[in-house]
Amino acid sequence: MDADKANGIRQLKGKQIKLYKQISIEIEREIQIHPNYADLHNQFGLLLMVEGDPEGAENYFLEALSLNPKFREVHLNLGFLYIEMRRWKEAENIFLSEIRKYPKDGSLHHALGVLYLQTGREKEVLVHIRKAIQCHPYYRDYYQKKGVWHRGKVHLDQKRERIFKKIHLNYHYAQFHNFIGLYLAKKGKSTQAVRELQMATRLKPDEFLFHLNLGTVYYHQGAYRKAIQEYKKALEIDPLYGMGYANLGYTYGLMNRTREALRYMEKAVHLNPRYADLHYNLALLYSDRKRYEKAVSELKKALRINSNYLFARINLGVLYEEQKKWSEARREYQKVLRITPDDENVRRRLERIS
Amino acid sequence: MLRDDFVIQTNVRRILIRSNIDYSEITFGTVRGVIYIQGVFKVSRLDGSAKDAEEIIAKTLRSLELKIKSIPGVIDVKFQFLNWKKEKGQWTPTKPME
Repeated sequence: MDADKANGIRQLKGKQIKLYKQISIEIEREIQIHPNYADLHNQFGLLLMVEGDPEGAENYFLEALSLNPKFREVHLNLGFLYIEMRRWKEAENIFLSEIRKYPKDGSLHHALGVLYLQTGREKEVLVHIRKAIQCHPYYRDYYQKKGVWHRGKVHLDQKRERIFKKIHLNYHYAQFHNFIGLYLAKKGKSTQAVRELQMATRLKPDEFLFHLNLGTVYYHQGAYRKAIQEYKKALEIDPLYGMGYANLGYTYGLMNRTREALRYMEKAVHLNPRYADLHYNLALLYSDRKRYEKAVSELKKALRINSNYLFARINLGVLYEEQKKWSEARREYQKVLRITPDDENVRRRLERIS
Repeated sequence: MLRDDFVIQTNVRRILIRSNIDYSEITFGTVRGVIYIQGVFKVSRLDGSAKDAEEIIAKTLRSLELKIKSIPGVIDVKFQFLNWKKEKGQWTPTKPME
């Protein structure tokens, strides 16, 4: 997240210019087909910004906001763009408004720190650097590395100021590489996608979504250890994101490490108790470990959420059958056959215990 | 070979995610090695005529079946799609494609 790396990205951009141009053409075409998709306008704005057309980028971000005024990512993109365009007041308004909504977001304090530095409001710079550090340890490490933070105090000499003034660019580049990474992943180009997403996480290591996206691409690639690493990084940033634990559970499942899978799936269910699918997966894990009582309880929860959850009912019947609870097993199988009378597997099971 | 249902389930999940199948209307479950797959079977990014599309979908279904059957521990696969069925070893749409 520094000027050197940003330069590195510009060099890389030179090598990849053809790819980015191609994506640019495709996004423009998609905008013509779906002119009301705020997401596409935001993506095109990012592309224009990286191509060095801030006015064009501003137009697309504003269009995205007119389509979806609550699109947080676009507000931030616009805020950082205004810093780049030296339109301090507009940038300040955006970040102050965001900080009222998300007072514990370190990147917003960091942005305000950068902005106030540019406008010579030193006292406020110090306040926001300290707040950023309080929000996430990543900022302390980063400022320490840059020599801005030392022994609990902020140090800003001319050289450090110069570096500090440039680092707002990293936000945009990180967003840009994240979007390109996702775009390539969707096209099945996972190696290139990984490279882009790695770049995004390097430029902004405290962004939950970048780690989650990178983890998912690794998962698709079959690089499970790396996927787990990224999911864990994402969960360190947002420990309440239940589906992140489910992803860890699925990945450990693929590695045949069901003990870890169980631990994470329990956490996922605890955070998302209204997801029938998670209860179902947790039930499978309990059932595989012969913890029948818990498995039955989870399947019943899944069925309470979705009474048409057919597999959950079949699994429930099988569990009853294995525990020799014949009448309960029969009852579940009969319910299944009322919905799918052609299910030979269930019919055979029912006949066996009738 | 007996294998954990959860491990099989995660493998099916991965196959679906990695394929060109639109799994937004598909659900699946694992019962002692038997896989159940239900819902509306669709393939993402389909171009060409209805006839071509049918062929592509039938091919995708055959490939899906083979991949799932090759997961260690899978005993059987039960497809219960609303729009496609397998009869005499052939996949056919239950109603003509639009």
